[in-house]
Amino acid sequence: MTAELTFDRVTKFYGSVIGVNDVDCQIGPGITGLLGANGAGKSTLIKLASGQLRASLGRVLVGGHDAWSTAAKRLLGYCPDLNTFYEEMTGCEFVWTMASLYGYPRRELKERTDRALEEVGMANLSERRMAGCSHGMRQRIKIAQALVHDPPILLLDEPLSGVDPGGRRSINELLFQLAERGKAILISSHILVEIEHLADRVLMIARGRLIASGTLAEVRSQMEDHPQLVEIACEQTRRLAALLIESETVLSAELHAGRLQVRTANARRFFAALNELVLEQGIEIERLETLDAGADAIFNYLQQSTR
Amino acid sequence: MTPLRAWLMLVWLSFRRLLWSSNALMALVPLAGCLLFLLKRRFGEHGFSEHQFDRFSNGFLIEIYLSIVVPLCTLAFAAGSIGGEREDRTLLFILVRPLARWAVLLAKVAATLPLALGITCGALFVFCTLAGEVGQAAWSDYVPAVFLATLAYVGLFHLFAVAFRYSTIVALVYALLVEVLLGHAPGIIKRVAVNYYGRTLMYAAGEPDGLAPPDPHWFEPFSPNVAQWTLLGFFVVSLVIAALIFQRREYRDLT
Repeated sequence: MTAELTFDRVTKFYGSVIGVNDVDCQIGPGITGLLGANGAGKSTLIKLASGQLRASLGRVLVGGHDAWSTAAKRLLGYCPDLNTFYEEMTGCEFVWTMASLYGYPRRELKERTDRALEEVGMANLSERRMAGCSHGMRQRIKIAQALVHDPPILLLDEPLSGVDPGGRRSINELLFQLAERGKAILISSHILVEIEHLADRVLMIARGRLIASGTLAEVRSQMEDHPQLVEIACEQTRRLAALLIESETVLSAELHAGRLQVRTANARRFFAALNELVLEQGIEIERLETLDAGADAIFNYLQQSTR
Repeated sequence: MTPLRAWLMLVWLSFRRLLWSSNALMALVPLAGCLLFLLKRRFGEHGFSEHQFDRFSNGFLIEIYLSIVVPLCTLAFAAGSIGGEREDRTLLFILVRPLARWAVLLAKVAATLPLALGITCGALFVFCTLAGEVGQAAWSDYVPAVFLATLAYVGLFHLFAVAFRYSTIVALVYALLVEVLLGHAPGIIKRVAVNYYGRTLMYAAGEPDGLAPPDPHWFEPFSPNVAQWTLLGFFVVSLVIAALIFQRREYRDLT
């Protein structure tokens, strides 16, 4: 089983409206965050991968199989962004029923259901009817039904929405464990901070186009034309500011409440220069922080640059 | 993992959900109306005293039961099988499993058939039993026609369920407009209705027991053999078209 999801120059039209435009990427083992504003095309990509939609142009391959095929669906666990269930069932019955649609024998069904519920932390609460479950519990049941057949590829559409902080932590831990087991996990969210701590790499999408991909640091370093803000805390901020302003990588330097904020055009060259400078001048740095290297800031920059 | 076991589980899931759905209750409403009507005719002042078999057949089983009640009862189950999942938005959980679309449709049909046939043929049995002696002959004469007509409606309403977003409404309009109005219109237009072929079978089967068939110039009947194959054809062709549509449809078109 190959844990690989491929979008091969995929375009999807909804009539005359373009949903995703020429998306070309591969998603392998580990956690990949799919970031984008509402309506950017995240759900379209996930629906294409889960075989709910057909690509108008290009191909979507799940473990080498066309995403529309039943072979692809065996390799895929899908947690939709829907809050609908068979409400008359208990959580346990729901997961058992979903597992039964893979054709497992009865005893294996029970084992798989119990294991999936255990993994999402719902083992003790699974006898509650779906209609009486909280939003967070329903989210976990949805993840359990996606895990129940132990698929190599997981598609999670906004799985953390409505989950309390404790629940988020345990789901995040579960996702890390699954990634360690070699599963390819594509997780979509419009809450960028959520993904920042979770994903090994990100796909950023805006107006249907893939605008960046890679680790957050890679994406940030690709944006050489956009300044980056670095905050430095040290005892000699004025002296350091005077020294740094001579460097051609520095665009501006400002003092804010005893801290130095430097705007640089090229972060890599700036950090190399800063390193050299502090060693030469014997300046002791207490804290160094990149203020706008987070997913949120990067995404905003990218969105602006694609306008 | 076996696809057959998965398919059987889907049949069982669909059957259970249909059995305990509000659709099952809806199917009982026209049957309850029929029961009241029959009890009044059977035990009231207008009992089947003269030409009993003809009045029971023409006045109740053909014009009311087959033409109105059978399509409505079948609709309640057939429209609810895929249509219910579409409305509840739970169809997605089935479509992302490794089952071919045609197999999903077949499972839904397989779950609907015992319920729809059970209720239409079962109700016919109850009504015939309540009608007394006259009903005994009617049951054996008419059960094949009711069986085949139910089969045809199950196929047709599943086609509506995959083809139309508001399939229950479309099926209801079809049942009232095509089956009741066009099915009883003069000329060959009545041949578009399933119940025309069912009535053809019933007239042919009941005639030896005293059923007076309609004027052949008005009714223009086919032979029972042609009627049987046409009803089976409705079932098979509807399902083939439904499977072809369902196979191609994107999920967004199904919600």
